[in-house]
Amino acid sequence: MSVSAIADEIREPVEERVPVTLLRVLRNEYFLYAVSLVLFLYIWDWVAKAQILGRSLATPHQVVRELARLMTVKLAGKTLVGHVWDSTRRVLVGFTIASLIAVPLGLLMALNRYVNAIVKPVFDIFKPMPPIAWISIAILWFGIQEGSKVFIIVIGTFVPCLLNSYNGVRLIDPELYDVVRVLGGHRRNEIAQVCFPAAFPAIFAGLQVSLSVGWTCVLAAELVSSQSGLGWIIIQGMRLTKPELVIGGMAIIALVAWTTSLLVTGLEKLMCPWKRQVEGL
Amino acid sequence: MAYEAVRVKTPLILKILPAVSILLFFGAWELTVDTGIVPSTMLAAPSLVLKLFIAKLTQSNPDGAVLSTHAWTSIEEAGIGYLLSLLIGLPLGLLMGWFTTIRGLFRPVFEMIRPIPPVAWIPLCIFWFGIGLWGKVFIIWIGAIVPCVINAWVGVRMTNPTLIQMARTYGATDWQIFTKLCIPSALPMVFGALQIALAYAWTNLVAAELLAADSGLGFLITMGRRLGLPEMVVLGMVTVGFIGAVIGVAIDMVEKRLLAGIRR
Repeated sequence: MSVSAIADEIREPVEERVPVTLLRVLRNEYFLYAVSLVLFLYIWDWVAKAQILGRSLATPHQVVRELARLMTVKLAGKTLVGHVWDSTRRVLVGFTIASLIAVPLGLLMALNRYVNAIVKPVFDIFKPMPPIAWISIAILWFGIQEGSKVFIIVIGTFVPCLLNSYNGVRLIDPELYDVVRVLGGHRRNEIAQVCFPAAFPAIFAGLQVSLSVGWTCVLAAELVSSQSGLGWIIIQGMRLTKPELVIGGMAIIALVAWTTSLLVTGLEKLMCPWKRQVEGL
Repeated sequence: MAYEAVRVKTPLILKILPAVSILLFFGAWELTVDTGIVPSTMLAAPSLVLKLFIAKLTQSNPDGAVLSTHAWTSIEEAGIGYLLSLLIGLPLGLLMGWFTTIRGLFRPVFEMIRPIPPVAWIPLCIFWFGIGLWGKVFIIWIGAIVPCVINAWVGVRMTNPTLIQMARTYGATDWQIFTKLCIPSALPMVFGALQIALAYAWTNLVAAELLAADSGLGFLITMGRRLGLPEMVVLGMVTVGFIGAVIGVAIDMVEKRLLAGIRR
């Protein structure tokens, strides 16, 4: 037998034939996912039909029908799409304002000790206050119009944006700076070639967190006072005791929040491919 | 001596600036209200808030309870919800990290509930539990359980695979690997979860109380707005922030004590 023949024989992939047994199918992760979803819907349906929680739970079927109805029938002058867009617009406006101020401020605080000494103490006073606690004062200041909702979102999204860009720069491996210095770089080289690329993943994570905080804030603000938006749909469902409206609104919120976070993750992969990823999540 | 410690002197101005900044902040706040740039119906001066704080320690007017009662109601609700979320969330997350069957059964439901902000559950909670204690506990629970599950899960998944392989080589069973290896190595992440979950619990508590409550700090804030008393709103906000900060520091200290030997 020639050497190459032996080599070919070795190179043959060693494939263990796994027999398809019932146990194996039962332990397959994707099969279990399907089982879990079906079980969840079935139990939900059963609980709603048996009225264990009284009349205040709608069946999945009712929820879907209600949502389909809202696509064409107008509620307070807007279809479902209009309400979704109202909430999204508020989040986007507040998020844009907050990130445009907070990210540069966080970077500046991390890069300059004097700015840090001035801004940090005041920021530390505001940091532990939940953004939702601001709703009352926002209503006193801006009334119940768009202004107060955008204000809440700005307050809520500001904190994670600033904290992440600040910590992103501060937690950079000092050796990276040393490399730039050894190669004869100036302070501005350090900032342009180390700070920004190294802090970028952290900043992006901050943006993602603040988007989800923004969604929570817009909901809370709309629940307290509004005439449109997803939070309003939910509160309307509560006032009319229509659980299918409440659950439908929650489902749409989940869908929108999930889509946004998917978009941001995709954008992040596109914009900073050097980020290390945690496997398995 | 080659390894003499290098002392970097902080300039004096860096030590003074934070204090100056805080003083300036409160000074500007006091002045804008006192001079009437901002009308007193919209913002209360810090001195007025302080006066109300002292008064509220003993008086129960006009919102029905003294400050410590409000604070205690809130702490009780947040505490129960938080403990329940730890009791259920951490074991669930740890098990989901290691056992495929449990992950397969719970992950889809978890992923469906996860993107819904806890605030959105408020109307359903009022339907189901009324405006009493348990509705708020449910909202806090559902908000705080998410970071518990995720962190415990990621902590288990980040266990060093070499250690797992070594344990397998020595004939450890799946359960032994889980209890002896995965859980200890997930501990730092679990402690991260304790802190995140507490912050969530405190935030959601205020949201829950804004909508439905008859006492508590969020209720104090709402009453302040309804009665047109900005100093009461600010007092509520400051108390919420202060208690949140104190709890955060306490957890930090416990964590440092318990995890002293664990590298992160």
